[in-house]
Amino acid sequence: MTGHLQGRVALVTGAGRGMGVAHARRLAADGAVVALNDLTGSTALTSLAAELGGVTAVGDVSDPAAVTRLVADVEARVGPVGILVANHAFMSMARLTQDDETDWWRVVDTNLGGTFHLIQAVLPGMRAHGAGRIVIIASEWGVTGWPGATAYAASKAGLIALTKTLGRELAPEGIVVNAIAPGVIDTPQLLVDAAAAEVSLAEIHARYASGIPLGRIGAPEEVAAAVALLADHRLGSMVGQVIQVNGGSTRGRV
Amino acid sequence: MTTATPAPVEDPPRKAGAGAGVAVVTGSASGIGAAVAAELAARGWRVGGLDLAASPLCDLSAVVDVTDAAAVAAAVARVGAALGPVAAAVSVAGHYEMAPVGEITVEQWTRMLRVHLGGLRTLSKCVLPGMLERGAGAIVAITSELAVGGGDGDAHYAAAKGAVLGFVRSLAAEVAPAGLRVNAVAPGPTDTPLLAPDSPWRAAAYLQTLPVRRLGSPEEVARCVAWLVEEGTFCVGEVLGPNSGAVI
Repeated sequence: MTGHLQGRVALVTGAGRGMGVAHARRLAADGAVVALNDLTGSTALTSLAAELGGVTAVGDVSDPAAVTRLVADVEARVGPVGILVANHAFMSMARLTQDDETDWWRVVDTNLGGTFHLIQAVLPGMRAHGAGRIVIIASEWGVTGWPGATAYAASKAGLIALTKTLGRELAPEGIVVNAIAPGVIDTPQLLVDAAAAEVSLAEIHARYASGIPLGRIGAPEEVAAAVALLADHRLGSMVGQVIQVNGGSTRGRV
Repeated sequence: MTTATPAPVEDPPRKAGAGAGVAVVTGSASGIGAAVAAELAARGWRVGGLDLAASPLCDLSAVVDVTDAAAVAAAVARVGAALGPVAAAVSVAGHYEMAPVGEITVEQWTRMLRVHLGGLRTLSKCVLPGMLERGAGAIVAITSELAVGGGDGDAHYAAAKGAVLGFVRSLAAEVAPAGLRVNAVAPGPTDTPLLAPDSPWRAAAYLQTLPVRRLGSPEEVARCVAWLVEEGTFCVGEVLGPNSGAVI
């Protein structure tokens, strides 16, 4: 495998399905050795790692001890993590007065807390090299908010603020932190949305597309392309930024 | 003044469905425009360059002032005839000077708006009919972090670059349903001939305030432009900020 990321290790969380798979494929195509995290092990995760010549890194990112363990394990097997793609997410929708508090905190502690734990765990390796790329997957809802999504929007908006702060804090050390806020992307989540709305998958695609200037929903590969840009070590002047990949629904609003 | 020499690009041209075609780049003789032309050429694009000076890196060089709408229209037509249908247009041509707001003359104010906003408007008007007919195309405007954060002594420049953002977001919404994408790149202080050797943006004390601690390079801006043209296929009205952390 050749490419400009050759010799670098990329840890992608939530890599068992959806966008995480696309990120892993793209970074591997660009030359990185990929370490694939998911909450639980699966045949899909193992075979993807095998296909891409990478390793698996199973564990719950909301648990700091598990994160320490999985990062140490990855670094022992393939070397220090030079690129972190924090793509994992847990989502639970409910109106604030009707929500389950345990579930609410699970959203925040997984999406926001998990990313924090991961960054702490990969920092020593990046600092030792004086270089690193951290790509945080936020969400359009972290920018706009959404009814019934207080926990999710709070966690994603928190990730944007974390990106801006660490963009400033870590740039002098050559560690570049940026985020991507995807809009509606064709992932397995849409099956959940379709079921909740009691409509077909095609109908939910059409409903979402009607609200997007480009007239369609996005592909996971289009978000992965943004991950590849932000993982590119030849681009060092972009820090603390949020790239919005949403077909034009927010048009640069941050 | 020196002309920035773009670094060689080691990537092979991207395979992507984008399929390199013909691009028009304004301000292509030096600085960011020259870097954009070089980056696109390295990726297999044929580039028509419009500038007040000749653009040696371009397949076709047209010496025009972007405030002269008729001359720009003629140059874009020449690019189309010589190189083929224009699939990408990048508005880079710019002009920079600092002045306290009370001292900005009407001439200075008008020139700022005509170069940045007028240059983008004219370029867009020239390439849009063909792009709309083919149902595909990408326009990228270079704006500035000063459009977002403003700056002391930058009222006319920031107003012009802010106007570019409003134009980009509106045109993006207008033509996205037809399959066209309009986006922007807002660099921070960049090492180009637009920054005079004694510019305050080059001062060591200022650079120390930047999270990245250095000026951006034209090549980094060009990488963002090329990404929006080729790979940012779900980006519409988006603004990328390679600004060394000046505006976060």
